[in-house]
Amino acid sequence: MAKARAIIKRRKAVQNIKKITRTMELIATARFRKALDRATQAEAYTRKIAEIVADLRGTSSQVAHPLLEERDPVRRVSLLVLTSNRGLAGSYNGNVLRMATRNYEEHQESNTPVNLEVSGKRGIAFLRFRRIQIDTTYTSFEDRPQFEEVDVLANQYIGQFLRGEIDKLEVVYTKFLSSSRQVPVTETLLPMTVSQVGEDTSRHPAKGATGRMSADVPYEFLPDPASILEEIVPASFKVRLFKCFLDAAVSEQIMRMIAMRGATENADEMVKTLTRQYNRARQSQITRELSEIIGGAAALE
Amino acid sequence: MATATATGRITQVIGSTFDAEFEEGHLPEIYNALRIEAEVKGVTVSLTGEVQQHLGGNRVRCVALGGTDGLVRGMDVVDTGGPVSVPVGTETLGRVFNLLGDPIDGRGPVAAKEHWPIHRAAPSFDTLSPKTEVFETGIKVIDLLTPFVRGGKIGLFGGAGLGKTVILQELIARIAKVHSGYAVFAGVGERTREGNDLWLEMQETKTGTGADAKSVIDSTVMFFGQMNEPPGARLRVALSALTNAEWFRDATGAETLLFIDNIFRFSQAGSEVSALLGRMPSNVGYQPTLATEMGALQERITSTNKGAITSVQAVYVPADDLTDPAPATTFGFLDAFIVLSRSISEKGIYPAVDPLGSTSRILDPQYIGEEHYEVSRRVQSILQRYKELRDIIAILGIDELSEEDKIVVHRARRIERFLSQPFFVAEVFIGKAGKYTPLAETIRSFKELCDGKWDHLPESAFLYVGAIEEAEEQAKRMAR
Repeated sequence: MAKARAIIKRRKAVQNIKKITRTMELIATARFRKALDRATQAEAYTRKIAEIVADLRGTSSQVAHPLLEERDPVRRVSLLVLTSNRGLAGSYNGNVLRMATRNYEEHQESNTPVNLEVSGKRGIAFLRFRRIQIDTTYTSFEDRPQFEEVDVLANQYIGQFLRGEIDKLEVVYTKFLSSSRQVPVTETLLPMTVSQVGEDTSRHPAKGATGRMSADVPYEFLPDPASILEEIVPASFKVRLFKCFLDAAVSEQIMRMIAMRGATENADEMVKTLTRQYNRARQSQITRELSEIIGGAAALE
Repeated sequence: MATATATGRITQVIGSTFDAEFEEGHLPEIYNALRIEAEVKGVTVSLTGEVQQHLGGNRVRCVALGGTDGLVRGMDVVDTGGPVSVPVGTETLGRVFNLLGDPIDGRGPVAAKEHWPIHRAAPSFDTLSPKTEVFETGIKVIDLLTPFVRGGKIGLFGGAGLGKTVILQELIARIAKVHSGYAVFAGVGERTREGNDLWLEMQETKTGTGADAKSVIDSTVMFFGQMNEPPGARLRVALSALTNAEWFRDATGAETLLFIDNIFRFSQAGSEVSALLGRMPSNVGYQPTLATEMGALQERITSTNKGAITSVQAVYVPADDLTDPAPATTFGFLDAFIVLSRSISEKGIYPAVDPLGSTSRILDPQYIGEEHYEVSRRVQSILQRYKELRDIIAILGIDELSEEDKIVVHRARRIERFLSQPFFVAEVFIGKAGKYTPLAETIRSFKELCDGKWDHLPESAFLYVGAIEEAEEQAKRMAR
């Protein structure tokens, strides 16, 4: 009976795991809804700002802003990696970290010093294990990143960039494309490039091809284009950075949801197999005992 | 054969047992062989029986060592005055016998000078040899995790179709080829065809080179009581083979090899006759004397100060259940046991040795050295950890493991595959030449694998190679 009892014990453990994964799936679903709403709301604002910058660029060719200026050679890079604080999110952290380490190694090979900044405990733990030097860590970003927090971070980057402490800011995060597609991406946020700005606008079907045409609309700048850019370029950068955090949060939740759904199904499967094994073990035990009794009795006759 | 001393008559026949009645004062002793020679309706009945019980009233109960077809009550039974005796000595080399010591290879009678009875006492306590020496096989998983003892006993446990016989024949091919002494093979209740294959193969295989070359069969004696034979034959053929091996050990002092395939059939035959002899079935329907019978056989397979017997025994495990009484009673007698596991054979990894279930008495630094011991323990601990993590991986996926555990899993999967090895006897089936991996190479390969030196190679590169460098070559070939 020892074998049967061991199977029961194992089945119980799997059932408990199943309860947990099921609950986590439900929680992740609820959080995903909320995070998605926030991301959609922020989307409209991001888009508008991007449009304006694009339009401005289109209107006057002499538009110049320090944040838009490409630097060559790149002497120092800041690499911001967005991971989650919690695990059990399928390949979410693994994908981002794989991309981040590859990126990091590329920089190492080209001998560019990297400022590695990591958000999320999982990422921190992973990179520590790989013995990669981390310069700054953040663990305060959960599934509801606040603009105020990101704002502080953004100002810090702008400062560093303007002072020439960094020549490039790259963000590695998971981009949320649709509820069935999330891909890890590396985006260069500083210096901001024109194509980036344009790409953002043209991606929306509402605008579509007309995004370019709007450049033909004559603008009047008051007081002058330079001071407007002074306002709007940093704002655009902040929004874009904020968007990264929001996307990461949405992706995390949906990937956790999917991972946990899969886990629950796997656990179900396992419980089924174990139950079958247990029944078989129990039945063979019974058969064995019966035949022993019958055999014993027959031998006594 | 001893001279006939008394004649009795059959009083009862039950399956493969029969009772015989003798005259007052002429009762045959237990284990004495009884001969029946008669002609019934033109058919010759020639049968040997072995006395098992004295029933009282001058009657004895016997196990028939052959078929009981045509046996009739009232037939004459002759007591031979001693147990079954088999021919021993160098004259028996190259021959094939049944349990009674009659040659069955169709090459005429054997002019053996000596016959020894198959029932003998085990060597006494003070004559046992305390020597412990590693016996290299060139099979990675065996040398690393279950090192063989020279003059020791090795068991191969496995359920149906896991490759016990293949491993046993591989060992014969590897050991007998380079072995200088004698080998005795006992086929107990296994496929007759396999016995025939082995016999033919041994005639073809040569040891040595040039003028010295001779067939392996010339230093081998074979005894067969295969699955077509009645239980009595399967019950005693192992003893016949063992008796022959004992002669080589005691008389020549040469190192002798004894291969038995399959020792479970011995227990099974015992259980078949046990109920007929009127014994009450015990645990799981086995004979109550299971442990006694096994002990009487196993204790004789041993090395003494005169010579050594190294034995390899295949043990069938019914329903893959190692706690079944038959394999369980065998465990205790062995120096090394190799457990074959279905879950490994399902992955297509052969030999399907279970690295966690198999072990050896000499897996101890004082016999095999610190380095070997440490490497084998590390391999086992990695595989053990992988086993513990398997449920988690099945439910949550590999991404949820911590980084340390991911590495463990990564290496464990490579180690698992690296434990496979191409066999000489399987060459014609898998189209890959057999590999002999020296022990030092094996230890070094696994050490480097545990250290993570080969983490970059793909998993499939580790399948069916010898030393670790061959895995690297295979990876290169696959990349192309």
